Amino acid sequence: MLIAPLLLLCHIAVASLVISIPASPILPNPQMLPATTHATLTTLPSAGNVHVLTASLSHSSTLVFPELPAQQESYLLDIRSSEYAFIPYRVDVAADGSILGVWETFRGNPWDNRGVEKYVVDDSRQSPDSVVIEARAVGRRGFYEERAKFSPLSLVKNPMILMAIVALGFTFGMPKLMENMDPEMRAEFEQQSRASPMNAATSNAMTGGGFDLAGWMAGTSPGPMASTDSASGGTTGRESSNAARLRG
Amino acid sequence: MNLLVDGMSHIERPITARAAQKLRQTPPQLHPAQLVSNMWLQSALLVAACISPAAAIFSDEVNHIDFHHALLGAPSPDSTFFLRPSAASNASLLYTISDRSILGAVNPRDGAVIWRQNLTRFGAGAGSAGFMRGSDGSNAVVSAAGQSVSSWSAQDGKLIWNKQLPGLAADLEILELEDPASKSAAKDALVLSGGEGAAVLRLLDGDSGATKWEYKDDSGDLPFQVSSSPTEVFYISLQSALLKGYKIKVTALDPVTGRQTRQTVLSSENEITGPESVLHVGSNIASPLIVWSDKAQKALKVNIIGTKPVMTLNIESTSQSTRELQKTDPAALEIKKISVHAPQKLTSLPHFLVHYKTAKGSWAEVYHVDLKTSTAKKAYELEFAAGQAVFATSNVHANVYFTRISELNTGVWSSASSEAVSVSRADGWAYDEPIHAVAEVIPKGKSVAVRAAVLREHGVWELIRNGESAWVRHEELIDAVAADWVDHGDQQHLAHELEVESHESLLGAYIHRVKRHLCDLEGFPEWVKELPRRVVGSVLSDEVTNLDSFGVSKTVVVATKSGRLYALNTGKQGAVEWHVQASETAPWDVKGIVIRPGKAIIYASDGSSVTVNTTSGTVTGRFDGQNRKFQTFTVLESNDVLGIQEDGSPASTFDVPGFLVTTSSDGRILGWTAQDNKTPAWEFVPPAGEKVIQAIGRPVHDPVASIGKVLGDRSVLYKYLNPNLALVTAVDEKKHTASFYLLDGVSGKVLYSTTQAGVDSAQPITSAISENWFAYSFFGDAVTESSAKGYQLVVSELYESPVVNDRGPLDAAGNYSSLHSNSGQLLPVPHVISQAFIINEPISHMAVTQTRQGITTRQLICTLPSTQSIVAIPRPVLDPRRPVDRDPTSAEAEEGLFRYSPFLEFDGKWFLTHARDVAGIQTVLSEPTLLESTSLIFAFGGDIFGTRATPSQAFDILGKNFSKLQLVLTVVALAFGVGFLAPHGP
Repeated sequence: MLIAPLLLLCHIAVASLVISIPASPILPNPQMLPATTHATLTTLPSAGNVHVLTASLSHSSTLVFPELPAQQESYLLDIRSSEYAFIPYRVDVAADGSILGVWETFRGNPWDNRGVEKYVVDDSRQSPDSVVIEARAVGRRGFYEERAKFSPLSLVKNPMILMAIVALGFTFGMPKLMENMDPEMRAEFEQQSRASPMNAATSNAMTGGGFDLAGWMAGTSPGPMASTDSASGGTTGRESSNAARLRG
Repeated sequence: MNLLVDGMSHIERPITARAAQKLRQTPPQLHPAQLVSNMWLQSALLVAACISPAAAIFSDEVNHIDFHHALLGAPSPDSTFFLRPSAASNASLLYTISDRSILGAVNPRDGAVIWRQNLTRFGAGAGSAGFMRGSDGSNAVVSAAGQSVSSWSAQDGKLIWNKQLPGLAADLEILELEDPASKSAAKDALVLSGGEGAAVLRLLDGDSGATKWEYKDDSGDLPFQVSSSPTEVFYISLQSALLKGYKIKVTALDPVTGRQTRQTVLSSENEITGPESVLHVGSNIASPLIVWSDKAQKALKVNIIGTKPVMTLNIESTSQSTRELQKTDPAALEIKKISVHAPQKLTSLPHFLVHYKTAKGSWAEVYHVDLKTSTAKKAYELEFAAGQAVFATSNVHANVYFTRISELNTGVWSSASSEAVSVSRADGWAYDEPIHAVAEVIPKGKSVAVRAAVLREHGVWELIRNGESAWVRHEELIDAVAADWVDHGDQQHLAHELEVESHESLLGAYIHRVKRHLCDLEGFPEWVKELPRRVVGSVLSDEVTNLDSFGVSKTVVVATKSGRLYALNTGKQGAVEWHVQASETAPWDVKGIVIRPGKAIIYASDGSSVTVNTTSGTVTGRFDGQNRKFQTFTVLESNDVLGIQEDGSPASTFDVPGFLVTTSSDGRILGWTAQDNKTPAWEFVPPAGEKVIQAIGRPVHDPVASIGKVLGDRSVLYKYLNPNLALVTAVDEKKHTASFYLLDGVSGKVLYSTTQAGVDSAQPITSAISENWFAYSFFGDAVTESSAKGYQLVVSELYESPVVNDRGPLDAAGNYSSLHSNSGQLLPVPHVISQAFIINEPISHMAVTQTRQGITTRQLICTLPSTQSIVAIPRPVLDPRRPVDRDPTSAEAEEGLFRYSPFLEFDGKWFLTHARDVAGIQTVLSEPTLLESTSLIFAFGGDIFGTRATPSQAFDILGKNFSKLQLVLTVVALAFGVGFLAPHGP
């Protein structure tokens, strides 16, 4: 009667946990990981004093926990690297130190919310010497701010510059275009532009229908009161003389 | 622990002592992470990063605005060597194991750490002697410290194998034997371990670490060393002689089977009193030697290991210089120390050098061993040279070179002839006495090039290349225990002058000012002279403006455990400005640094203090302690320094109106009034079972730019701004809970408290408080299957009222008191909003960035020990008002709030340390500069790291991307355009 539990105790199924880091699109060369990369198994132990188990990165890009404490625990497995982020795992260990199962887990989620199963103990078979799981890199941290480089293209992309270029194009291009035009065409075009209502409105405004602020400021056109009040001719006279002086 | 000093002046009379406060547990228990069922959170990485105004470092600013001293600790003299990391490489690296059990490979060219491993993580207790050995061309180095033996890839420091032994390692050697049967280049390691009742010598396989054989010695002898020759392995132990002293017992073993072949006992009991009496045990050489001397230091005893005869070599110098000295100053020839230098290579010639050190200088003798007759013969002698010198041995194929590094020169001698191969003059050295050196000699025609790594007193590690100092590492800085920013007192004079002006009559002040300005003109010619250089410099320099005058170049004074003070300039990549031995007591238990203009006063726990001039580093004053035990020192408003004793009581009454909050050694929080230093005004005792582990107050410099928070709809939430807040952390180790109490420092009233379940008190629990918010972090276990497991970061904000535009009961009050009810109003309790985040790693220390006005967004600076980095989390990310389970409304989005997610992934842009590996940080300091955008950061405790943090980006600095050339070109183009378009007259 007593032999059976003793036998059970003798059977120490110390399994090692091996985490291999395969190459992935995010981490093309796991050999580039720094030597400080390590894995931790963390839990709040119900008894005993091992709080965090650590495994260092080996030269073959694996992290090995040679033996786990013989105590029933549910560990959080993290792979620690400052540059790469890895998926955390949940590792359940039986009272004899053998691994019951390894699942992906989600941070900030209930602990029983398990993801993809990586390993689970099979009662029918002898538990293996080592449980091998693959670490999955999910992101790479960019530490540095990109400095905006000066490029002429970005200058051209600026809408203000674009507008200026278009305006410049019109100013210089339009007379050239007119010059090269067939004389008959030009006459027709001029007639058409004279007839257009838009042009009429503009010319109306130019001839006194509205107030030409720019002209007034430059002293080349009469003030707003000029047409209504001829008594203030002195003012306009002074302005025009000012303008003359300015130009002279 | 921390202190709060309150300068409230409206308290009229002293208050009477109060009983311990009954704890007011606020009911809304903050649950760890509000769990959402989003299964694929991990894929939604770095969402927060896109929204937060993170100001990361530009890659061209690395080493410009930040600096990092990657430290190892003082290298162990017998485990430091040059080694080619792989058979393919030409250049060698410098390997060492330090007194802190840190293994490292250093680039001999610039002194940069290539890789390092902290062996304490593998169960090697810090301070235990560690060993490290390497073999050329084997691609691996082997270390043994404590119970752990590991093999590391020499190139990148990755683990090859690790083996835990039952006993503590006593010696380690690489078996250089060529084993024709094995194809691998890895060499087997011989490990001697003791302390298991018997000494055990094991041969570990170089590839796997598996034990090939073990030899047990249960005779009770003192296990001493391991040695090997091309054919045999020797186990050397010290056998206690009948009366006194030790006999040397050499056991020869077969290297293949580990079986004992023979044993010899050397009668050395008259000379050897302990392991330190043996001068040298050779290894990995054709004829390994044991050398010791007689007590009078008149003769050397030399034995070729494995043989019986002991040669006696008389110590007598025959050289010209010593004979002359014998006549004039015989005391100068009194030997202080003998050291033996022999090559450690199977193929090398059996030559060795004996170095005799006296108080005034040293000389050396070179011996050749005749393998046939097993005798040693003196070949030549190096003349007596005044001053301190160290020797190093190097091999080039079979040739042996001895390098002598002294204050005057670096000389290289071949073991075959007394003519120096190369001598290069040195300009003396600026550092302390050398202890040990390793050298690498490269033959160049007839001459040689030599570089030597010299270990000096106080952890100074220097590389001397052909007589010139190439780099210096101050390894002692790893023991930094306290640091503070220095005030050089440059502004002191002006401040005084302005003070004078403000106290004079209008006319008097005016005259004074005119005089002052006239005086200032004295510096004008100098300034004009400097002007062209400054203009040219500002165009050519990287930085647009030289920011040194804006306080970004500050000096930090660092105190180490060994009693030394260092001044590091943060503006010059942390260069050591001066260092001085400030205290002879080791360990120096520094409890506080008080900064005064132009000087720093360092207080130790016994009440003693040392005053140093911060510009020159000279000790200007000392004060012996009164043999009292102090836990900390604080600076009062009146600029007096007050010691706080271990029981939490102030050493004396203090004369400033206000309050003092202290922690006592038995875990109580005490509040003190000015007049009474015997009975506390109030005390806070945590509930039974809980132990106070930390108590912090708001930083001394903690300006608040705005008293309220403007919401999206233009309403205001008023901040609860109490200058006297104290955040107390208490843990219950049995129930696995951590409680956080927010106290009012004047009355001791508990304003808020919360308890977290499933907390591992053995893992770091840390907190920070600033403005109207506090944060704490801990490891929370899954209490039930439906709760989360992992490290948590909780942030809480305090508001005056939960209602917007409402200032609560203190609405119109101009003054308030924590103690007396004004018109029936007691000190209101803040409205606390909290949010918890799961983070993926522990935080060991928290600090908050400090800027001049507090307008810049704050960052929570967290030290991450597991990834060896420091991260600055922007406060907008840690806003507890982030909407949970829904997207933010447009008003909230305008405020900058975004959806809460329980998992907070640290964005790479938040890493102040970026790709650096900043290990062992204990404390992070933050200091405002004259630029509002910039806060200086200095971290110490292991490595030394400093940077500038710009939480809201460098809005008041023209950065590197500001192109002066572009500006000039634009102005020229505009001028040209104006000229072109100008109306031209007739």
